[in-house]
Amino acid sequence: MSRKKVLIVDDEIHIVHVVAIKLRNNDYDVISAENGAEAFKLACSEKPDIIVTDFQMPVMTGLELVEKIRQCDQIKDIPVIMLTARNFAIEDQQKEDLQISQCLSKPFSPKELLENIEDILYHKAVIDSRQ
Amino acid sequence: MRSVRNLYMIVIAVVAISLLAGGLAQWLDSGTEEGTRFAAYMQRVHVASACCIVGAVGVIWLGWYWLKLAGAITSIAKRLKADNIMVPRLRANDKPKASGNALIDELSEAVSGRLDGYSKLIGRLEEQINDLQIQIQLTQHQKGHIEAIIYSIHDAVIVIDEFDRLLMANEAAGRLFNFNSGDSQHKRISELIDEGKSEFTDFLRHSRQNKAQPTRKEIEFSKDEELKTYDCIVSCIYDEDRQVCGVVAVLHDITREKQIQQTKNDFVNHVCHELKTPLASISAYSEMLIDGEADDEQTQKEFYAVIQSQAQRLNRLIEDSLNISRIESGLIKVNKEPVSLTMMLEEQLHMIKSYAEEKNICLKDIGQCRIVFDQVYADKDMISQVIVNLLSNAVKYTPSGGSVKIEIEVDETVNIARLSVIDTGVGIPESEIDHVFDKFYRVSTNNRQAKGTGLGLTLVKQIIEKVHDGRVFVSSSQGVGSTFGFELPLATQRYRGTEVQRYREKQIINYQ
Repeated sequence: MSRKKVLIVDDEIHIVHVVAIKLRNNDYDVISAENGAEAFKLACSEKPDIIVTDFQMPVMTGLELVEKIRQCDQIKDIPVIMLTARNFAIEDQQKEDLQISQCLSKPFSPKELLENIEDILYHKAVIDSRQ
Repeated sequence: MRSVRNLYMIVIAVVAISLLAGGLAQWLDSGTEEGTRFAAYMQRVHVASACCIVGAVGVIWLGWYWLKLAGAITSIAKRLKADNIMVPRLRANDKPKASGNALIDELSEAVSGRLDGYSKLIGRLEEQINDLQIQIQLTQHQKGHIEAIIYSIHDAVIVIDEFDRLLMANEAAGRLFNFNSGDSQHKRISELIDEGKSEFTDFLRHSRQNKAQPTRKEIEFSKDEELKTYDCIVSCIYDEDRQVCGVVAVLHDITREKQIQQTKNDFVNHVCHELKTPLASISAYSEMLIDGEADDEQTQKEFYAVIQSQAQRLNRLIEDSLNISRIESGLIKVNKEPVSLTMMLEEQLHMIKSYAEEKNICLKDIGQCRIVFDQVYADKDMISQVIVNLLSNAVKYTPSGGSVKIEIEVDETVNIARLSVIDTGVGIPESEIDHVFDKFYRVSTNNRQAKGTGLGLTLVKQIIEKVHDGRVFVSSSQGVGSTFGFELPLATQRYRGTEVQRYREKQIINYQ
């Protein structure tokens, strides 16, 4: 089974670093970006299996990134986990419309994030196998 | 009374008969034919009997007339006496007097009593009229006073009757709804207030119709091309029968309060976000260490270092937030004294020197800056923090090989000392330059360049402008560099000399 690729998007280098270590230790390939614009380019070129993005970032926010991804046919089905320091920043309707798989509030647990990633990828694999 | 009347009538009759008889006798004695003929005729008539009959009829008629008159007078007197409002009652033992004089006296007394009563009544009525006139004047004065108060209230006040017609509106209401408050009385409120503000008229109508207790509602109006929020309080006016006879509305402009509330909410949200960011790192790295994800010593050290730096960042953030809050609320303790800006700059340059060298940034010598004692009257610690913030920002955002130059100028024509920090750093886009002193604002393109709380420059502005009545300034060109600085008023003459004295004392102590 091939290693899954995770794109981590955050302007906080320490967060990217710690999540990357956690995922690499658990057999994931990790690529990272500092903002939404950079992440979109990377997502188009690298086609990651899942994207973990911060909500508030310079240049392009996490929400803008997801909106752009959902409009791009090549990468529109990539599941997204949103990390946010503001609990009420994303409304349920918005979350549903943009098909955001999970929202995790900062400070978050890397272990919990890993479990979420595994769950989402498992369900996606099941759905893909049925199609 | 009656006997007097009869006697009077008999006398009158006798006199009349005597005169008649005398006249007849004279006429008969005159010897005329008519007289002779009449005398013959009269001889056949009983003259005395006829005279007696005429006299009796006259007496009866006069008696009847007199009696009628007396009865009328008695009746009037009785009615006057019976009037218990104006005339004093006759005493119980007073007996009606039968004589005519007594009746007249009684009537006179009754009329006099009635006149006295009327006189007293008129006196009382005049007093009441005077009282009423005073009350009217007092009421008018109070009305004028209340109107003056209502008219001078900054809030808009509108009073309408039960038919939605304007009873009163002050000038503020006129300005808000664009009508002349002086000549709009009794006009329908819907005619005075345009449809764009119908939410208010609907609210008034609804409150009146529902006889609601005082109710309030926030209503937004567009005024002077600006959206303003008003706290509208409406109360019904009740008459004696507890029926609603009008409505009074007071509209208080709460736009500023709403903005402050929004700013506070934004600030709290921002602080939470900024606090959570380093906290997230601390939490994640701690968990990784606990879970044994950092297997080698080097990685563990790296994790500890991150935790430490993020904890320091958290502390800085809290300190800066508290300092800004203290300055804004005026609770910070300020120790102003005459100080030399140049000396403070030298001290801070010394502290930042190693950081600049680490980044290979040249700090331009300020040797040419003349040390002037007692230059400015300021809180030394606060101004030192301002200088540190400006210097560290300049070094932080200047790439390796760049330079940071510091200038101090004194302009005695306008009594100010100016400190400028000029760097050859990344610069700030023109669109963002107005926001660099805003709380938590970080120039988006420079965000990755260096870490910061977004409060450093806010603190600089607060210290300079709020605490020291100075001014901050910034100019920048993206890719070329930025100039940040501040101006402080020069210390007045009375403070000159105190710092020199302190400096000398310090030198003596050091020497000893």
